[in-house]
Amino acid sequence: MFNFRTKAVIKRELKEKILSKTFILMTLLLPLFMIGLLAFNTFLFFYTGEDSAKLIIISESPELTSGLQKDFSKLPIVMNGKYQITFETEPKSKIQGEIENRKKDLLDNKITGVVFIPQTALKDKKIEYYSKSPSNNSLFEKIKGTINQALVDNYFLGRQLSNEDIEYARNSVNFNGFRISSDNKIEETTAGAMIISKLFAFLLYFSLMFIGMMMMRSVVEEKNTKIVEILLSSVNSKEMMIGKIVGTALTGLLQMAIWILPIVLLITSSLFVIPQEYMPTVTLGQMIYFLINYFVGLITFLGLFATVGSIFDNDQDAQSGIWPIMMLIMIPFFISFAVGENPDSMLAKITSLLPFSSIIVMPARMSLVEIPIWQFVVSVIVNVATMLAIFPFAGKIYRIGILLTGKKPQWSEVIKWLRF
Amino acid sequence: MNALEVKNLKKTFGSVKAVDDISFQVPEGSVFGLIGRNGAGKTTTIRMLMNIYIPDSGEVILRGAPVTEEFKQKVGYLPEERGLYKKMNVWDTLMFFAEVKGRSGKEIESRANEYLKRFQLIDRKTSKIQDLSKGNQQKIQFIATILHDPDFLILDEPFSGLDPINTDLLRQIIIDLKNQGKVIIFSTHLMDFAERMCDQIALIDKGKIILSGALSSIKAEYGNRNVNLAYNGDISFLKNHPIVEKVQDFGNTTEITVREEFQTQALLKLLIENNVMVRRFNANDISLQEIFIKLVGDNNNAVQREEVRNV
Repeated sequence: MFNFRTKAVIKRELKEKILSKTFILMTLLLPLFMIGLLAFNTFLFFYTGEDSAKLIIISESPELTSGLQKDFSKLPIVMNGKYQITFETEPKSKIQGEIENRKKDLLDNKITGVVFIPQTALKDKKIEYYSKSPSNNSLFEKIKGTINQALVDNYFLGRQLSNEDIEYARNSVNFNGFRISSDNKIEETTAGAMIISKLFAFLLYFSLMFIGMMMMRSVVEEKNTKIVEILLSSVNSKEMMIGKIVGTALTGLLQMAIWILPIVLLITSSLFVIPQEYMPTVTLGQMIYFLINYFVGLITFLGLFATVGSIFDNDQDAQSGIWPIMMLIMIPFFISFAVGENPDSMLAKITSLLPFSSIIVMPARMSLVEIPIWQFVVSVIVNVATMLAIFPFAGKIYRIGILLTGKKPQWSEVIKWLRF
Repeated sequence: MNALEVKNLKKTFGSVKAVDDISFQVPEGSVFGLIGRNGAGKTTTIRMLMNIYIPDSGEVILRGAPVTEEFKQKVGYLPEERGLYKKMNVWDTLMFFAEVKGRSGKEIESRANEYLKRFQLIDRKTSKIQDLSKGNQQKIQFIATILHDPDFLILDEPFSGLDPINTDLLRQIIIDLKNQGKVIIFSTHLMDFAERMCDQIALIDKGKIILSGALSSIKAEYGNRNVNLAYNGDISFLKNHPIVEKVQDFGNTTEITVREEFQTQALLKLLIENNVMVRRFNANDISLQEIFIKLVGDNNNAVQREEVRNV
């Protein structure tokens, strides 16, 4: 498939890249970093969630107060002592005075807040909250359900309603999302689907950037240290470019395979056990598509990164010249997040089939909705066609660029090279 | 028999004629010097020899057939601006450069060991290139150039930056290679060096060959009326003497041009009469430097040629 010259270049690239400290560290640290981030998130969630609070809940009627007392006593955060709540019954007219009396405690954080439930709340469910930091969403989330229950109970008190009716009224709406696919299984969408979608987008984004920049720097280095001159006395620019790209792409493929290995093991074996709702909703076939898609995308982008690298002879100039290529990775990355919100929108459908964007958007989309086979096929064809279309141009610029040193060329000059 | 024949090569970059209709021959078993000033077109010519640049027109004939990609396997090229992969170690570097020439295995390894011993670098096999001194890096570069046993060597200023001991070692190896029948092409702007090493030269200026052939016949052609002199004493009286056309001081030697060929004897007599102690008197001899200045310096003030950016 490749001649001995190209093979020698591939071999050298592989050896240099795979044995480099950056590569080994990146390959091992990224999954650790991701797990760490997840753990940290969970920790933060629990930590802020379990914050303690001292509340005073005041209502205008003794019935409501006792109802509240009863309902709150069953709340886990009250039972474990995190939330300390005292209940009082005061008419509305005295509230201002009460607040005034407790102002010092409120300001010193001895009391987190005062909740006042006026009698009118039985009609409009509007209650008041007095605190140093009055927009405490996590606190509201924890207590509003219970207050609602007490209000509902109080409202229906004395009316001829069965317990079932009251139970129904007490509950608030609870969304359960279901994912529909053509094999007639209606599955519940899980957090796993969302995580995997974001993970795919992130891995693709990160890897294309990381490997791409590595490629660019290596081309600039060869130019900068004048190795090209010697290399070109042995190989031609095409063999050199192909060798470098294939070597680097194989390195990237290895890295990506290591990164997604945990997911593959998760879906194909029972080696790991995680809660069902975090289970990734991808099939093995999709994972294979993911790798193929990545490899094609990587080769395309490596061609572009190498081309830009060949135009400049120092890292700074190359960094500033690379932004149009980086946009081609960044924009689809951001689109993939919008796609997470609505994977069946027109934007999602179109960008998952367009050149460049499809490389990131399609994998991000495929774990969220069922994608017809033809769309996968089209996306692969589009990506391969893009890759094939790019290389004749990239090769020409590369051939001229790598031997050119000195003044930073203008883009208009670079376009002229295409005619040489 | 010519090993290499260059016929009517032309290469233009934009509006600049980097190489303008160049032809020369490199005889089998010779040391050939491609000489010229910086930016004269030497590197462009060399790049066309090796198919790095494709000439606009003209051809390069190698032992009777036009050069192809395969020529690259037979050539060893040491460019003036050197470069190695800084993070690779010495051994991997040598093996890589042999491998892109299609050579690997036991034979190459023993050759590599042999050369490393000869250059006293055998204990640095596993050192990274960046940890070597500049001189040692240059030696590794040279080994990488000749390791695959090329038939042709193209060396661009090979001695620059080497100390006298290593220069001598390198020269010895180059002479060995010449004796093995390799064709060696030097590209240089250092005339005294070209003069000592080359037996064929081509003088290139502003993209054109202005002189080529065997060094001895060129010198004979330009050398009559010329005396190469080494002396102790004062020769200032020659400056305005009727038989002397020109006196040029090159430091170690002085070139004196007389007006007529037969006047060299008179010059020697004149020197002795004036108590100048003659240490060397070489009649009909001229340094390449002087020929070069004579040919190139004359039109020095002509329109400055726009230098090709990528050479």
